[in-house]
Amino acid sequence: MPPASDDAVSSTRARATEAPLLAVRGISKRYGRVCALDRVDLDFHGGEVHAIIGENGAGKTTLMRILAGEETADSGDVLLEGQAVALRSPNDARRLGIAMVHQHFALADSMTVVENLALTLTQPGEWRLSRKAIAERVEHWAQATGLQLPPLASPVGELSVGARQRLEILRALIRASRVLILDEPTAVLTPQETEQLFALVRRLRSDGRVVLFISHKLAEVRDLADRVTVLRQGRVVAHAKAPLTDLHELAEAMVGEPQVEWSKPPAQVGEECLRLDGVSTDADAFGTPLRSVSFTVRAGEVFGIAGVDGNGQQELFEVLAGVRPPKSGTLWIRGKSVSPRSPAELLDAGVGLVPPDRRREGLVLEMSVLENFLLHRGTLRRFTRSWGILDWLQARSYARTLVEHYSVRVPDLDSAAATLSGGNQQRLILARELEARPQILVAAHPTRGLDFAATQFVYRTLAGAAQNGAAVVLISTDLEDILTLSDRVAVLYRGQLSPTLIPPIDPLRLGALMSGLEQGTAI
Amino acid sequence: MRQRIAELVPSLLAVALALAVSAAVVWLTGSSPLVAFAALLEGAVGSRDSLAEVAVKACPLILTGLAVALSFRAGTWNIGAEGQLLVGALAMAAVAQVGGSMVPRPLALVLGLGAAAAGGALWAAIAAALKLRRGVNEVIATIMLNFIAAALVSYLVQGPLMEQGGRYPQTDALPPEFVLPRLAPYRLHLGVALALLAALVAQFGLFRTRHGFELRAAGLNAVAARLAGIPVERRLFWAFVLSGAFAGLAGGIELSAITRRLYERFSPGWGYTAIAVGLLGRLSPIGVVLAALFFGALDAGSNTMQRTAGVSAVVVYVVHGCVILFLAALERWQRNRSQGT
Ligand SMILES: Nc1ncnc2c1ncn2[C@@H]1O[C@H](COP(=O)(O)OP(=O)(O)O)[C@@H](O)[C@H]1O
Ligand SMILES: [Mg+2]
Repeated sequence: MPPASDDAVSSTRARATEAPLLAVRGISKRYGRVCALDRVDLDFHGGEVHAIIGENGAGKTTLMRILAGEETADSGDVLLEGQAVALRSPNDARRLGIAMVHQHFALADSMTVVENLALTLTQPGEWRLSRKAIAERVEHWAQATGLQLPPLASPVGELSVGARQRLEILRALIRASRVLILDEPTAVLTPQETEQLFALVRRLRSDGRVVLFISHKLAEVRDLADRVTVLRQGRVVAHAKAPLTDLHELAEAMVGEPQVEWSKPPAQVGEECLRLDGVSTDADAFGTPLRSVSFTVRAGEVFGIAGVDGNGQQELFEVLAGVRPPKSGTLWIRGKSVSPRSPAELLDAGVGLVPPDRRREGLVLEMSVLENFLLHRGTLRRFTRSWGILDWLQARSYARTLVEHYSVRVPDLDSAAATLSGGNQQRLILARELEARPQILVAAHPTRGLDFAATQFVYRTLAGAAQNGAAVVLISTDLEDILTLSDRVAVLYRGQLSPTLIPPIDPLRLGALMSGLEQGTAI
Repeated sequence: MRQRIAELVPSLLAVALALAVSAAVVWLTGSSPLVAFAALLEGAVGSRDSLAEVAVKACPLILTGLAVALSFRAGTWNIGAEGQLLVGALAMAAVAQVGGSMVPRPLALVLGLGAAAAGGALWAAIAAALKLRRGVNEVIATIMLNFIAAALVSYLVQGPLMEQGGRYPQTDALPPEFVLPRLAPYRLHLGVALALLAALVAQFGLFRTRHGFELRAAGLNAVAARLAGIPVERRLFWAFVLSGAFAGLAGGIELSAITRRLYERFSPGWGYTAIAVGLLGRLSPIGVVLAALFFGALDAGSNTMQRTAGVSAVVVYVVHGCVILFLAALERWQRNRSQGT
């Protein structure tokens, strides 16, 4: 028996779309001194995808959390079908058919896929549910939505981000008979996964739901949205309707100042810094082993490694970080072969790392900003005095300079790194790594989840590092990253590296190299 | 500084709630909580004598609390302070047995307490090596080692180390050379000063040195620490060993300053109370000292409470338990609140 919501869908579909299905009136919300939302008025129509765009900190998530009953507004009303509704808890939202997919996942990592779905699939008043019954319902919903799910018994913590997100979306879809909120859903997705998601969203729209789509990627918004609202510092600053023609205007509305086009200056290529010769890794239960990967990166250039996530990117990063010893093949750093058994050796050989998952791999979130600036072997050594005592005074002034130089916005050096926005976390990591003067910089997914301004900053910083003579390895699933920054590009597909492409790169050729997947196995 | 104070809030709140619950328990048993707590307070801080007693009771808790704090900071769960303490005491007793009155006092104390620390460290190293080499969960390993240590003490005091003349299952009294000097006419002894010194050293080591920094980073996020070039396993191993040394030292000091003999029920469970001490002290050495003093005061005061107010001393265990429960709950609550963004 399919649970929940089918009747609700048909009833909303029957309704005319002129009157807004959902509206907010005069919503304000403050956090201490920060005014997250300032008297926001908005109408959302059934059968439309309404994009809310804005820089990080604009208040998008806060507004959505209010609609999802997770946060209460200081003032203002939420109207559903013209009626003011009380949204005091997520349960209220659930009852009204409003559900949200969070920017940061809200799954229980140690539980399996089925277990994570079980609660959602249980209806009020249902006390017991067999594993088999749940599995059947999951199957039903997976089919109804066309979402590809990972094996039901695998623990969620071991899934790829894309798979985890599909799970979140499925969970929200089951509840969202009227309003589905997607908070920056594409931030973690590959281009293919993004396409799948868009197809799904289009289908949902035709069912008469309101789909609220949060993003700061303008190209996506253009492809998907029927209406766009721009938030800046808690206020609605612009509206637009499809078809969107002038993206530039939206970008300016988002950032609040004119945007200059930026393109990377051509590389001044020096000697060979890094070479991989037929590097293969062992297969493990998740991910894709590398199969005889070879490439060379020279000082001053950015070597882009494109590809759909899950084709060996994680493995390649781990090899270059020294946490995954290759099964065969050789790693050469400036003409010397190395077989690192720990990151320490590579760091000492001049490698800098911008890890794919900055919250988990790049920072110790509970530690202070200051301490995170020291989280690098070379830097630590630099501030260690006799008896292994750390010179906090010097370290502090060093951190202060970096904060200024890289415009990291921090409350103060002693607040936890967790309190920084994603863009500022990435700035911190970039500052830390670049100040250690790496000769080789390995950056994996460096703009994932970052807003427009922060992304531009990452581009400039990475290009700057190359200009200063570093060999930059850019591993990214984001084609914009690759096309903007790379001097040469290769594609990773099922653990194998394609021949190298040299700009001008034909995106279609790139797409073809990346997309052997479409016939193959998408996980 | 403001953050430091903010960190105290959960601990103070947990203590307040725990005291409230135990007051309710006292009231339910038909006594007056007011009278009981007044007696408890009187027993703990009513006189210089009792203040000294609090410090004495706190001493093993400070050291074992440090042991817990250190290992938890490194992201490993040393539940074995109890066993490490016993092995430490055993090592000191053995050294004293062998050394007898041949060595002069300062040397005897250094040797004896050194042996105690080494014994505890060794006992912890077993668990750490099992974890790093074989992937054995350290919680299970340390708990098992606690039982083994208790059994070992039990066997030795009934056999090889049993007192001359052999009337009771206990070791000979330590030769006077091995006894820590008193600091005052009360039971206050040099070991208390040593424990405080250990706390200062730990505080400095954790927050002012590179190894301390690396240990904390490894404990909070091993993945990020490893990518930063920190030898996570090595830090973890040494944190564990040092943790064992602190616990072993606790055993040595208690043996040397208070009991002078080792016997089966030597420890009233310090190594377990230590977990509450470590958590209440928020895993900071200074916090551990404060928490240990609190538990020491409860312990010292409970006897007076039993005598003068007629309320069973067992009530303090209600406080112990509630403190941990409330701390865990508050932590959870705090975490949920801060997950807004
Ligand atoms: N739980 C919270 N506590 C304090 N400040 C918050 C909280 N949630 C959001 N904020 C602040 O409100 C502002 C808007 O945040 P948010 O809605 O997350 O922005 P967006 O999703 O557009 O990036 C930011 O300045 C953020 O720091
Ligand atoms: Mg957000």
